[in-house]
Amino acid sequence: MNQNILFLFQHFRGRKNRCYKLAVRSVRRAFVKSTKARKEKKRFLRALWITRIEAASLEHGLKYPAFISNLLKSQVELNRKMIADLAIYEPKTFKSLAALAQRRRQEGFLAALGDGKEPEGIFSRIVHHY
Amino acid sequence: MAVAAPTARAAALAPPLTARRFRFPLPGALPPPARAAMASFTKAAQQWATFARAWYLLDAKMQPPGKIAAVTAVRLEGRHKPIYHALSDCGDHVVIINTRHIAFSGNKWEQKVYSSHTGYPGGFKQVTATQLHMKDPTAIVKLTIYRMLPKNLQRRTLMQRLHLFPDDVIPEDIQKNLVEELPQPRAVPKRLDEYTPEEIAAFPMVWTPRKYFTVKTTFHLILKKNIEYC
Repeated sequence: MNQNILFLFQHFRGRKNRCYKLAVRSVRRAFVKSTKARKEKKRFLRALWITRIEAASLEHGLKYPAFISNLLKSQVELNRKMIADLAIYEPKTFKSLAALAQRRRQEGFLAALGDGKEPEGIFSRIVHHY
Repeated sequence: MAVAAPTARAAALAPPLTARRFRFPLPGALPPPARAAMASFTKAAQQWATFARAWYLLDAKMQPPGKIAAVTAVRLEGRHKPIYHALSDCGDHVVIINTRHIAFSGNKWEQKVYSSHTGYPGGFKQVTATQLHMKDPTAIVKLTIYRMLPKNLQRRTLMQRLHLFPDDVIPEDIQKNLVEELPQPRAVPKRLDEYTPEEIAAFPMVWTPRKYFTVKTTFHLILKKNIEYC
């Protein structure tokens, strides 16, 4: 019975990697922590993506809230994981996304501050797919 | 026999438990497939350049130390890079010059208090920002950055990558490493005496000041001479 779970606690520190009684307790705690951490992992990864997107968008002169909100307003529904991966591996694509967000932002300002007589911006138009 | 057989058969059929090494948070700078995408001999130089540690220069002349520290802390941690990860040690070096000439806004030079305790009884010391600055011109910037970094074991390592100089003078070996100068966070306004006479003349006048308050006219005012000055 020990042999089955031996490699579960082989990489532990101290006597827990050798003595069964101590190991059993540690393995149980490790499993419990692993279960709880599955929820925290999602939070942690999302925070990491947000940090990376913020860094990349600041390189292009946009702050993260402006970037994300304007992307959503332009109906670009990419999640943070994909945008972060694009920022690392497809820098030109990310640059065009940042330019799109910036353009939509300017159109939003014009709509808010202008008289309303000017025609609506191109990127502000909502496309209905249904 | 009937009891032993099913358990033995079940044990033979059950898949062996594999050692699932749970790693949290994700190690390394990139998620696993990404590293495989980058790691090739032809892309080796690009990978080296991406993960290299750069040296930045920042001039703190007439800048608020808080804004300087915010920019510096971000660079030291590596949060300005899209490849940031807390474990991947991707921070850069920052060299700050002219820390003697930082500018606190408001009355902070007199009101801001830096406290410390020597550990001995009666050893609680409180110094104003002015006194601390006179004693050590780099201390204010150093403390501000130290307190802005994340409060973990990496903080000391990041502080070792920070280089503070009270004046313009930088050692040769550090000067050779510098890559880029960061823009100053605060736009320094020009003093009136820094404007050239041509710029003053070219500046548009909102209203023409009447020649009322000259020496002659004040003299006349004192003597109460009723002369119209327009």
